[in-house]
Amino acid sequence: MIEAQELTKRYGDKTAVDGISFTIAPGSVTGFLGPNGAGKSTTMRMVMGLDRPTSGTVTVNGKPYAEHRSPLSEAGALLDAKAVHPGRSARSHLRTMAATHHIPASRVTEVIEMTGLATVAGKRVGGFSLGMGQRLGIASAMLGDPRTLILDEPVNGLDPEGVQWVRRLVRSLAEEGRTVFLSSHLMSEMAQTADQLLVIGRGRILAAGPVQQVIDSVSGAAVRVRSPQAADLAALVAADGATVSSPEPGTLELGGIDAARVGDIACAHDIALHELSPRSASLEEAYMSLTQDAVEYRSTDTSTSPATAGALKGTNP
Amino acid sequence: MSTTVAAPETDRGPAFRAAVPAHATFAGTLRGEWIKLLSLRSTWWVLAATIALITGISLAVAFSLDAVAADPPTASGPATATGAEVVSGGFQMGMLTIAVLGALLITGEYSTGMIRSTLAAVPTRVPVLVAKAIVLAVLTVVVATVSIALAYVVTMPLLADLDLVPAFDQARTWQVFGGTVYFLVAAGLFALGVGTLLRSSAAAITVALTVLLLLPGVLSFINLDWVQTIVDYLPLPASGSFLGGDEDSLSSAGEGLSPLAGVLVIAAYAVVPLVAEAVVLRHRDA
Repeated sequence: MIEAQELTKRYGDKTAVDGISFTIAPGSVTGFLGPNGAGKSTTMRMVMGLDRPTSGTVTVNGKPYAEHRSPLSEAGALLDAKAVHPGRSARSHLRTMAATHHIPASRVTEVIEMTGLATVAGKRVGGFSLGMGQRLGIASAMLGDPRTLILDEPVNGLDPEGVQWVRRLVRSLAEEGRTVFLSSHLMSEMAQTADQLLVIGRGRILAAGPVQQVIDSVSGAAVRVRSPQAADLAALVAADGATVSSPEPGTLELGGIDAARVGDIACAHDIALHELSPRSASLEEAYMSLTQDAVEYRSTDTSTSPATAGALKGTNP
Repeated sequence: MSTTVAAPETDRGPAFRAAVPAHATFAGTLRGEWIKLLSLRSTWWVLAATIALITGISLAVAFSLDAVAADPPTASGPATATGAEVVSGGFQMGMLTIAVLGALLITGEYSTGMIRSTLAAVPTRVPVLVAKAIVLAVLTVVVATVSIALAYVVTMPLLADLDLVPAFDQARTWQVFGGTVYFLVAAGLFALGVGTLLRSSAAAITVALTVLLLLPGVLSFINLDWVQTIVDYLPLPASGSFLGGDEDSLSSAGEGLSPLAGVLVIAAYAVVPLVAEAVVLRHRDA
C-alpha cells in the first residue's frame, strides 16, 4: 500500500511533482504512466525516502519508508538500473544490502537464481549489459521479500524473453497480495501488465483507475457507421445527444452513444447501414489524448502522410 | 489537487506476509559497510600502496641517514632525528592514500548511484555515515600498524648501524608511532567528511589534499603573523606538535601548538565535517 497526500517536489523554480494524491492498493499491479520528465521517477524516489518532498506526505504500508524497522521487508525498489558500484560483483552487491538486515546468504542465492544471474553473479557489475543490470536491480528489490515493490521502467533494456519474465513476475507478485507499482512511458507495456493505471503529466495526475476505465473516460466508447444516408443519420443521432464527426463522406464517427442505440435509430427511420461497429480506443490513443498537453519534450510533427497516421491509429497494443 | 484512488473493488484475500527473516540493526549496517569496503579491488590497491609508500620512504630515509653518517663533515643533521621518526617518516604519503580511500568511500557511491541502494536499505542515513567512519578507522589502524611494523623491520639493519633503532621502552617511540596512526585515521575521516559534504570524487580529493598537503607549504611563504597562525592550525603542522617532526616542519613559525592542542585540532578535522554532514544528511536529496 502506498499513499500520497498532496505530494509536491520542486527543484529551484521547477515543479517536478505538483501536489499529487493517490493510493496504490495491494493485490494488483498499478502502472504509473507518463511521458519522460512527467515526475514518475521523482515520485518513486520520494516514496523510497531518497528525495525529500517539498510539501505533502507519502507513506508505504502505513508509515513513511524511513520509519519502518525493517525497511527492505516493507518495500523493494528498482529505481535506477545503475544503483550499483561497477567495481563490485553482483553477489557482493547483494551481500552488502543483505547484511544491513541480517538477511541470510541463502536468500541472496535465491534472488540471483530467480533473476537468472547465476552464471554472472561473480562478475563485476561494470561489465553488465543494460538488461543484466535491470535483472540485478530486480534482484535487489526482491531481496527482503517486500510487501511493496516499486519498479521504475523495469523492462528497459530487456530482451523479449526478459520482458515476458518481468510481466509474469509482477503478476505473480500481485497475486501473492503484494503491492506492485511500476512505471513506464510505454503504453503498450502497461496495457499488458497493469490492472490499475495512474497517468501523470507535468507533475499532475491526469487520470487514475482500472486500465479500461481510464481508456473509456478519455475517449468515450465510439461507434463507427457507414451509410448512404449518412447526413440524415447524423442529424438524428445528434438530436439524440451524440457527438458526430465525419472523417470521409458516407462515414460517421459517433461519440456518446452506443452501437445498439444507433442501430435502433437507423431502423426506426429506415436508414440503411453498411457498417455499424463499436470501437474502443486503444490505451495508446487515450494516453496521447491525455498527455498531449503535458509532454515535456515535444518533437515537431513529422508524420504528414495519411498512411502513417492511419497505421498509428490502427495499432492496437 | 486531484485526489485519485486506485483501489480494488473487492478484498483480495489475506494480506501478504514476508517469508524471509529480516531485521535492520546497526551491527548489520556496519557489516554491510565492511563487505562493501573489502569487496572493491580499489580498496586493496590503496592499502597496498599505503604500506608500500610508508615502508619504502622510511627505508629511503634510513639509507640517506646512513649515507650522511658515512660522510662525517656533513653529519650534523641526523642527530635531531629519532629512530621512531625515521620509521614513520613515510606517513605523509600514507596520509594521501588514506585520504583518497576515505573520500572514495562515499563519493564512489554518489558517482555510481550505489548511494540509492545504500539509503534504500538504511533510510535513516546517519548510521551509514557512522558505519563508514568506523570501518575506515579500523582499516586505517590496521594498515598503519602493519606499515610501521614493516618499516621497523626493513630499516632495523640500517638504524642499528647508527644506534637509532626505536626503543620500545621509550615513551617517545610510542608517542610517534601512536601519533602517526592517529593522524592517518584523522586524515581518512577528514576526507570522508569532505566527501560526504561535496559528493564528488574530484572535488573531495582536491579539497582534502589541498588542506592536508598543499596549504601548509603555500601559506608558509606568506610571512604574516596571522597567516602563520593559520598554518599552525592546518593538519600537517598541527601533527608536528605531537609527532615532533621539527626538522621537516613546513611551518616557518615553528611549533605553534602544544602536543595536546595538536591532538585536539587534528580531532576537530576528523569530526567536524562528519558531524556537519550528519546534521544535514537527512534533509538532502540522495
